[in-house]
Amino acid sequence: MNAIETVSLSKQFTGKKRARVEALKQLDLQVAPGEVFGFLGPNGAGKSTTIKLIMGLLRPTSGSASIMGMDVAQAASRRVVGFLPENPAFYDYLSAEEYIRFVGSQFNMDASLLNRRTEEVLKRLDLWEARKRQMRGYSKGMVQRVGLAQTLVHDPEVYILDEPMSGLDPIGRALVKEIILDLKKRGKCVFFSTHITDDVEKVCDRVGVIVQGQLRALDSVENIMRSGIEGYLVQTRQHVGNQAALQEFKAIRSNEQFVEYLVPVAQFQEFMALVGESSVEITLLETKRRDLEAFFLDIVENGKSA
Amino acid sequence: MKTIVAITLKGIFRDKVFQGIMVTALMFLFIPIFASLSMRQVTELTITLSLSLISFILLLLSVFLGGTSLWKDIERRYTFSVLGLPLSRRSYLLGRFGGTALFVIIAASVLGIAAFCVVAYSSSIYPSDRPIVWGSMILCILFDALKYILLIAFAFLLSTVSTSFFLPVFGTIAMFVTGGVTQQVYEYIHSPASKTLSPFLKQTATALYYIIPNFGAFDLKLYAIYGLPLPANGLLMTSAYFVVYVGLLLSVSSSIFTRREMR
Ligand SMILES: Nc1ncnc2c1ncn2[C@@H]1O[C@H](COP(=O)(O)OP(=O)(O)OP(=O)(O)O)[C@@H](O)[C@H]1O
Ligand SMILES: [Mg+2]
Repeated sequence: MNAIETVSLSKQFTGKKRARVEALKQLDLQVAPGEVFGFLGPNGAGKSTTIKLIMGLLRPTSGSASIMGMDVAQAASRRVVGFLPENPAFYDYLSAEEYIRFVGSQFNMDASLLNRRTEEVLKRLDLWEARKRQMRGYSKGMVQRVGLAQTLVHDPEVYILDEPMSGLDPIGRALVKEIILDLKKRGKCVFFSTHITDDVEKVCDRVGVIVQGQLRALDSVENIMRSGIEGYLVQTRQHVGNQAALQEFKAIRSNEQFVEYLVPVAQFQEFMALVGESSVEITLLETKRRDLEAFFLDIVENGKSA
Repeated sequence: MKTIVAITLKGIFRDKVFQGIMVTALMFLFIPIFASLSMRQVTELTITLSLSLISFILLLLSVFLGGTSLWKDIERRYTFSVLGLPLSRRSYLLGRFGGTALFVIIAASVLGIAAFCVVAYSSSIYPSDRPIVWGSMILCILFDALKYILLIAFAFLLSTVSTSFFLPVFGTIAMFVTGGVTQQVYEYIHSPASKTLSPFLKQTATALYYIIPNFGAFDLKLYAIYGLPLPANGLLMTSAYFVVYVGLLLSVSSSIFTRREMR
């Protein structure tokens, strides 16, 4: 059974003067339990729309979605979910502690467990000092932290986070990555949206790229990183061996000490054979890859022109 | 749903609007002074003023709390976080309503106690010819509270279809005003004096009479002030009317709210 599944999920907004926006087109997606899935896309791509559909906040124009096999039209499908909305807002007249308790009680947690978990998550997100203050006095990042804390308190199986790192300082971002990796280790499913490729590269198993409401790429981070290998940077020592043997490969840099070559993957074998024959000394070998950022930018560019 | 009720109550008690409105309740202190100025029927006047003040405060509370409760949740985007919990829209709406209604009852009780003190004080200084019927006063305040709970149910219905606070707040006020005069209009239309009106107008007015809540029926002030015997049957009818009407309003509201999109 999939932790999250969408079948031809589509959403059309009808705005003023009947202007239609196709925010999401025929999305088919399966996210497995235990998987960390990054949902990547530029502004206005349809990430939040997808998440709101999965959370039952919007109704699909067509198609369907389910969480742990349960249709999202039922409130019970959210029993196993910790959900962080985009730029969240919580009852600002409550304190963080009161709100976390309120959330816990919605999941029927028993009192002693709730006490313990509330303390745990508030401390983890560095809200312990502020826990008794009304949230109307919180900074943006603090509210975001409350948002994360309330997804964790009931220890659900599935986490749906809309831009979890937004509004956080570098320490906070690092903390979120750590939390996500920790959840992964414990076999939880995390589905989060972002436009920051670096976050995805560090924590995700799989990534989906959405542009203008359409899923343009769906692959494991590992595959993308591997397919992103463009070639190898080979640094050799100047004046050692017969450099002339390598002349069909263009040196990209040459100085008193070193000569550097950029060798395409396909010609690497051939290059290394020549190196062996000519007794050239290799001082450094580096993989040259396009990072996820470049991959993402490519897809977005192609997506826009398509 | 119980927790939503609790959260709602907490929210109201911490709300500035509520605190402001409750300051109005300090006017109770001046009632005996006002009443004593009249020199005649001081107790009756004290009861009248107290009951009117309670009614006025409850009206303000129900328009502002009822009209803004749901709307504020949507406007401030609390709904995204709360409705992402495993909570049906229906129990959310009912919890919100229940909390607000419960608050009106609490407020009515507190204000009622204040009114009793004021009346007891007045009548101890200017003894009345008529005995004070405390039971009628209690019932009068109770039915007043029911009237405002009905009004709040209306405000909730308007909130579920509206995207601004304009409709819930002003719609509720308009409903209160029309609902207060339907009885008179109905009686006028069915009296010989209305012969000149077109039958269409009469029918429309009659239809409206049945649609718009009849707040007049909840008004027991005269009984409480003059200690008249209460019409038991009428009260029973009014209670049944209250239950059915509120039930209808809430089921329509929750089915609209369930379908509503949180954009
Ligand atoms: N309530 C709405 N009414 C009309 N159009 C909407 C509404 N909400 C979203 N849209 C449109 O749907 C598209 C997708 O929006 P969405 O919020 O899902 O983007 P996103 O990927 O979350 O972007 P961001 O990274 O900026 O958060 C956009 O074109 C947006 O204008
Ligand atoms: Mg978004």
